[in-house]
Amino acid sequence: MDQRRADFDSFVAHSTEALLRTAYLIVGDLPDAEDLVQDTLLKVAGRWSRVRRMEHPVAYARRILVNLALGGAARRGRRRRELTGEVLPDHGHEPGESDAIDAQDELMRALAALPTRQRTVLVLRYFLDLPEAEVAAAMKCSLGTVKSTASRGLARLEQTLRTTNDTRSIPT
Amino acid sequence: MTEQLESELRAALREHAAQVPAASIARLSHFDYHPRTRRLRQPLAIGALASAAGAAAIVISLSAGASNAFAGWTATPTAPLPGQLAGAQASCEASQSPIAGLPLTLTDTRGPFTFSVYANSNSSATCFKGPGLMSISANVASAALNVPAGQVLLSSSHRTDRGGHAFSLADGRTGPGVSGVTLSLDDGTNVRATVGGGWFVAWWPSGHEIKSAELTTPTGTVTQTFNLSPEIPCGTQRCASGTSESGSAGGSATSGLSR
Repeated sequence: MDQRRADFDSFVAHSTEALLRTAYLIVGDLPDAEDLVQDTLLKVAGRWSRVRRMEHPVAYARRILVNLALGGAARRGRRRRELTGEVLPDHGHEPGESDAIDAQDELMRALAALPTRQRTVLVLRYFLDLPEAEVAAAMKCSLGTVKSTASRGLARLEQTLRTTNDTRSIPT
Repeated sequence: MTEQLESELRAALREHAAQVPAASIARLSHFDYHPRTRRLRQPLAIGALASAAGAAAIVISLSAGASNAFAGWTATPTAPLPGQLAGAQASCEASQSPIAGLPLTLTDTRGPFTFSVYANSNSSATCFKGPGLMSISANVASAALNVPAGQVLLSSSHRTDRGGHAFSLADGRTGPGVSGVTLSLDDGTNVRATVGGGWFVAWWPSGHEIKSAELTTPTGTVTQTFNLSPEIPCGTQRCASGTSESGSAGGSATSGLSR
């Protein structure tokens, strides 16, 4: 096996896990996330001669993944809306209902309801712990856009969680 | 509040990301993503394409060169990786499609691609699933089909992915005694089909047409030739065919049945 091929195989072995977990958090669906990662790695493979000379090939792959995720958001969104009624029926919560809702589930549900760009910024920032500058590079936007998008995303999460808590605390 | 929210968000993301199964990571890590280096033969002459009718226009535009869109394809079926079949089945059956109500009959795997047939006695649907690509089609006959011993009934179609890369799907019923099917394409490529349950399935990453099939029977190898056209009788019955695309699959060319 030539060195170029060996380098790529090593890159795949080391980067797939982070790419797949990131994709899963962004698109919220495992088959879609797997497709996204495979598309990403196919693109990286096609440009590997150039990519392998980069200082951070993983950052390049992440940029492709984010670009594909944002590009495919509309299509996945349509499909998810079709499936939501079956997969995640919103039964609502009766006032005084005693079942405890896991706080993390609430947070993830609120995150899933965000626009894809806001969700992507939050995933890159708070899951991968990327500095804002690297988030900007991954999303091909300015630092200011990253800051404002993250701020809006967090504010919306906070608002959603507050509304949910208010609804659940209404006395019977 | 913001700091607390950020901290909770980090924890929730970590927790949620941990739900990704290790098998999925292992499966994606083991696919062959390298571009294929197989050279396509020169484009077919227009005269030869004329017999392929509806397929011709797409075949011409798709045969321009090899692509890495179908990296991992092999002329012989490969063993599925852990979770590959279940993942493909979940995607296919989650779609609004003609698959609903039909039992899974046979699945062909080649690298990261799966090609499945769902069928009962007179209806069938196929689902082709690959990275970023899903294509579903259906064939309905007015009555149950009887395939003579030692022969096959073929349905084939040409399609494109969203990048305009050609691929072709072939499936069909096998008559009694047929235990192996190898398709010969008009560019000389031989594609071994997956055979079982009275069906065979195969696909290849080009728009090349099937010329013949070598069938393994109890009495030896038999060659069956095909002359595909857009409207061909389906045995003694007339077949209706329909196609639906989902996911990122692009347009389709033609679907015909031939004996």
